[in-house]
Amino acid sequence: MLEIKNLTKTYKGGKRAVDNLSIVVHPGDIYGFIGHNGAGKTTTIKSIVGIHDFDQGQILVNGMDVRTQALECKKIMAFIPDNPDIYEYLTGIQYLNFMADIYQVSRKAREERIRSEAESFGIFPVLGDLVSTYSHGMRQKLAIIGALIHDPKLLVLDEPFVGLDPEASLILKGKMHELCGKGSAIFFSTHVLEVAEKLCNRIAVISQGKLMVEGDTKELTRDKSLEDVFMEVIGHDKAD
Amino acid sequence: MTRQIRLLTKVSFLGLFGWNEFRFTKDRKKKTKYCLMGLLWLLVIVMMVAYVCAASYGLVFMGMGRFVPAVLVMSVSLVVFFFTLFKAGPVLFERRTYEKQISLPITIRAIIISRFFSMYLTNMLLGMLVMLPGMAVYGIMERPGLIFYVYGIVAILFLPLLPLTAASILGALITGISSRWRRKNLVSILLSLILVCVILMGSFRMGGMQEDQLAAMVQELALVLENQIMAAWPPAIWVMEAMAYERTDMLLLFLGVSAGVFVVFLEVLRHFYSNICSLLSSHETKGNYRMRQLEVKSVRRSMLERELRHYFSSTVYVTNTVMGELLMVILAVAVLVMGSGSVEKMMGIPGIVERALPLLLGFLAVMMPMTSCSISMEGKQWWMMQTLPITKRDLVWGKTGACLLVAFPFYLVSEVLLLAALKPDFINGLCLVAVPAVYIVFGARAGLAINERLPIFEWDNEVRVVKQSASTMVSLLAGAVAALVPLGVLVAMPELPAHIVYAVVVCVLAAGIWIMEAGGKKAVSDI
Repeated sequence: MLEIKNLTKTYKGGKRAVDNLSIVVHPGDIYGFIGHNGAGKTTTIKSIVGIHDFDQGQILVNGMDVRTQALECKKIMAFIPDNPDIYEYLTGIQYLNFMADIYQVSRKAREERIRSEAESFGIFPVLGDLVSTYSHGMRQKLAIIGALIHDPKLLVLDEPFVGLDPEASLILKGKMHELCGKGSAIFFSTHVLEVAEKLCNRIAVISQGKLMVEGDTKELTRDKSLEDVFMEVIGHDKAD
Repeated sequence: MTRQIRLLTKVSFLGLFGWNEFRFTKDRKKKTKYCLMGLLWLLVIVMMVAYVCAASYGLVFMGMGRFVPAVLVMSVSLVVFFFTLFKAGPVLFERRTYEKQISLPITIRAIIISRFFSMYLTNMLLGMLVMLPGMAVYGIMERPGLIFYVYGIVAILFLPLLPLTAASILGALITGISSRWRRKNLVSILLSLILVCVILMGSFRMGGMQEDQLAAMVQELALVLENQIMAAWPPAIWVMEAMAYERTDMLLLFLGVSAGVFVVFLEVLRHFYSNICSLLSSHETKGNYRMRQLEVKSVRRSMLERELRHYFSSTVYVTNTVMGELLMVILAVAVLVMGSGSVEKMMGIPGIVERALPLLLGFLAVMMPMTSCSISMEGKQWWMMQTLPITKRDLVWGKTGACLLVAFPFYLVSEVLLLAALKPDFINGLCLVAVPAVYIVFGARAGLAINERLPIFEWDNEVRVVKQSASTMVSLLAGAVAALVPLGVLVAMPELPAHIVYAVVVCVLAAGIWIMEAGGKKAVSDI
């Protein structure tokens, strides 16, 4: 579903944020992308979803190149950033209806999905209020509902659990499993190693833009915790 | 408190005109862009200084040199007042920065003064750029004593205080009144536009009086000028008396009134400031949403509606970009009520309405199209446009369409009024209808094309985007060139048939629109 081949991105000024990164995310995968602050996680994610261009490499979504077939890729993809800056001048329902219009979701499907997702996240009663009145967590929930409205084949999330209350985190995890059950793939970055360990079937650790370790979660954490793996990898990298 | 004010002013200054970004960015493209903008500003400053020198020379040459300080003070004061009128409210009551600052050990007085001060310093710069060249011309030609320069420099320091305070009082009043309503933005937009109409109507009346009197009393020109300045802005006469006749009492009067009005304003505002800020940040929530049948729209219609909602959610955005269209209607009303001859007299350009009305309307229409900052206005939410499956053409459709929809009612009203007032023949009627329409479309598309090349997404206050960005400045210049060049041709070559100029203008603008439309199938992320 998502294939990153030799991705390299250097920022103006010379800092190499991502260095020759290659990973593959298959349908049904919940893929955790782990790294410390400034490791290159958000840069990679922004390159996948079309916010950043990159210097070298190729990113394929369902076999389509994000550079040459950007629109086709975006139609089957959804992105939720770490800080959900969404249109404050719209009401919640206007925002969701806007997203449904952009992805051309039928009336019946959008009404069903909005009702069920908004009720499960507990924000249905406030859908008529302006987004500017929402708390950070409520905006995050609205952004999640907006991202799920077209049943994406690939869901990309940047630190999705920041700002969510425990109940909403649990619901989101359930949605992620549900989506993967339908054959979609999820690629997300996180700092919370316990979540990644429990939720992801595959994990990649990135440090200073380079892929340090990648593989099946169970195989990586056979005799130790993900925290130990992470510290070991990062420790080696720093020593080098 | 002085330290608090200094620190807060410094922080707000670092964000002004992108200065801090220029200092620290490693992006060469951005640096080059800022350098080019600097050159553009320099060009504007040189032009302004040249104009001030010429005007001052003219006054001295006509034997009215003593009026140089008064005319310059009045000009600066009026510019400061009008430029600050729509800026003062949003700058003084900016919510997000207020929420950050109020939790720090800073007094409300320091917050207000620092915000006022950031506006004050930029306006003082303008005052210097106008006053110093004028003083130099006067100095060279009239050889005044040292006191002239000393009093002049002291006056420059205080010059923006009074108009800035007056604009801030009106800004605070509009913000204060609208903060009590549920639809704050709409009330604020309406109040601001009503205020502009009242001020413009008032200045129209004053302009008419001046023309009549000037025509009747040429020999008493100096007296008329003094009376007019006294009626429009008495402090300008105080500065003139202080500088030209070395009257310390007049200087003290000017300084005292300027500082006194500001202190009174500060003390009054201090009591209501927190309340107004709290009311502005408070929103009514209903929390009782009931699902109704949702409307399914096309991508483009959805983009268009979103754009309009965004536009009308911002007072600064509306009041600054709808001004040209509003002036179109005011001009049409003036022509209908007073006749084109009187309007020409008021404008001081004989024959302008008769000969170049379509271009005049076109100029007003392209003065500041909303598209010139509509991409920048996306701000931190720009990621959505980048990641959604929409083409650049969809984006252009939404933004240009919204601009045209906003302009259309103003265009329609002014055209109907002008056609009723002038009753032109078919060809002139066609020009009157078609030329402004092409200008409106061109302005909308050109504004977007310019903003596409000069966007800014990192900002805290909409004023930074709408009033201080490179994109709006370049759009303003481009619009002025597009309208004033043919206008100049018409004025300079009175024997040339106007229809030919209009035809050429329409063809050139249409070609420009067609060129800008190319490349619309690209993804938004390519911007």
